Amino acid sequence: MPRRWISQFIVLGIWLAAAALIGLAFGAVAAWLAGALGLYLIYSLRNLYLLDQVLEGGKRVPVFETRGLWAETFARVARLKAKTRNRKKKYNRLLREVRESTGALSDGGIILNSAHEIIWFNPAATRLLGLDPARDIGNRIDNLLRHPDFVRYVAAPTGEPVVVPSPEDEGDWLAVQLIPYGQKQHLAIVRDVTRERRLETARRDFVANASHELRSPLTVIAGYLDSLAEDEGLPASWTRPIAEMQRQAERMTQILRDLIELTRLDAAERRAPQRFVDVPAMLGLIVEEFRRRSAQPRLGLHLDTEAGLLGSESELHSVFHNLISNAMRFTPPTGTIEVHWRPENGGTVFDVIDTGIGIPEEQIPRITERFYRVDPGRSRASGGTGLGLAIVKHALQRHAATLEISSREGEGSRFSCHFPAARVAARANPAKAAG
Amino acid sequence: MEIEDLGHHISRRFNEDLEHVRSSVLAMGGLVEEQFDRAIQALAEANSELGLRVAEDDVKVNRMEVSIDEECSRILATRGPTASDLRLVVAVIKTITDLERIGDEAEKIGVLAARLASVERPSTNYRELRNLARHVKQMVRGALNAFARLDAAAALEVFKADDTVDEEYESIYRQGITFMMEDAGAISRIMDTTWVARSLERIGDHAKNIAEYVIFMVHGKDLRYTGLENIEAEVQQASRRREVHP
Repeated sequence: MPRRWISQFIVLGIWLAAAALIGLAFGAVAAWLAGALGLYLIYSLRNLYLLDQVLEGGKRVPVFETRGLWAETFARVARLKAKTRNRKKKYNRLLREVRESTGALSDGGIILNSAHEIIWFNPAATRLLGLDPARDIGNRIDNLLRHPDFVRYVAAPTGEPVVVPSPEDEGDWLAVQLIPYGQKQHLAIVRDVTRERRLETARRDFVANASHELRSPLTVIAGYLDSLAEDEGLPASWTRPIAEMQRQAERMTQILRDLIELTRLDAAERRAPQRFVDVPAMLGLIVEEFRRRSAQPRLGLHLDTEAGLLGSESELHSVFHNLISNAMRFTPPTGTIEVHWRPENGGTVFDVIDTGIGIPEEQIPRITERFYRVDPGRSRASGGTGLGLAIVKHALQRHAATLEISSREGEGSRFSCHFPAARVAARANPAKAAG
Repeated sequence: MEIEDLGHHISRRFNEDLEHVRSSVLAMGGLVEEQFDRAIQALAEANSELGLRVAEDDVKVNRMEVSIDEECSRILATRGPTASDLRLVVAVIKTITDLERIGDEAEKIGVLAARLASVERPSTNYRELRNLARHVKQMVRGALNAFARLDAAAALEVFKADDTVDEEYESIYRQGITFMMEDAGAISRIMDTTWVARSLERIGDHAKNIAEYVIFMVHGKDLRYTGLENIEAEVQQASRRREVHP
């Protein structure tokens, strides 16, 4: 037992013993003991009252005893209060520093609770999003930043930021990212990306303009080459060079056409329109066309479903045409190519499986890059623009589809396009296609 | 009614239902705002594909109206809201109608933009229309922000802004008539631009309606058709009252 309690009991014992002795002298022990206990009770209640006052309003403690149970209790309470006061001061200082430093940030920072309600935000967020410090605490962030892309993003945040037009400044763009932490809270970071987007747009415009400008001179050259090729008075030694020039001009035209297509896909909205496309019929026509061009390698078509897709007819045609064309190009005449259109998990899959020369494993992640060649010598000789797979990738993204590539060198490759259920449609149903 | 008032319900689910329907309306507002922006962009950039896309996407707006309407009916039937909650649900039902109409006007602008994309543009590139569009966009945004914040004073500003929009429309209309008299060949194009201006003016009216519903929600008074001075007086009186008795 602590010393202060022992000393208290000792003092109490002496007090009662003294009262008993005096009582004995007066012949009324019980009365004197009762009186002594009563006085002790009053003494204890008074101290309790003082303690209550101290805890209530922070009154300073009158130090009337330097030792004993009550003195020590009061001292401990005083120490506790001092500690709390200091801690509060420290936290306030820390809070002030955080507030000042986040106030200096040029990016917006917003703290959201688990219901996506705004808890706090810095001045940059006020500026970028037009938030009102007096009124917007407690309001859901997607009530104030209402762009459909952002509303969708808040419901299902990915690791990447979402880019939306600025609600405050016309023509500006903001990148917003929701970072989870703690108990389902989020930190929203808002960045002004207008400049980056303008650079992107400038780059795209440059590529598009350059491609268009190059087309006309090329058409002129190709035209003259065609008339030269048909000219009967042409010396025989020129026949082969002219034919080669025609082939190269044709290749340049194709590259320009692909570049323009790619630029268009880049600049277009992220989602393709929702028009019904009869995929089985389209595949039938494409396969027919390739079979007519050359009987080998053998091209097989397997339609396991009658379903079509909701999307852009021309883009889907590019996807199927490019993938089959690649397979034809990189498979020897003795090989086979199997094209599948089959259902899977509510969606559908388009497969092109060939027994061609395959792709080295370490290069598979890079082959959808523009102008990337697995083996420059080999593929340039067999034709192709180097842009086909980039176009396929972009077009599939616009249809919310994924591209899966597997391959083994010397054995063959498999390209699979997985279309989500939302884009699959049964036979053309006008109401369904519109809704 | 303040934002905090929405939280005082014995049933947490009821509270969540109301919050959810509020958020749904504002999400619909965001979609409509985007449709409007894209329609004006299609006009300014002569982008017929974008204009037609806006027209196609109007079904999404209609779908949202139907689903929020169902949500409100469910709340009315199962929760039997009263007082400020009832005002909220009623205001929501009215607001989604006006939002759906704004969506329809944006669809019309999209179609007109697609048509105008293929004809020769005036040297000003429809500057007056774009100006009018900017003012109307601010009205729509102001009305929706006022709804989000239950801010009657901001709603009042939107209400007042409609007069300017109406005047601008009048001036575009009269200017169009003058041009048509000067150049008969441009009549078709000027008719189309007048229809665009008309749609913009109508959108302004719908935004004004939404502002009125916000004032109704906040102050519990139906101030429609009572005139600007009366509404202004009521709103200012109410905020003064609130300052005295917070």
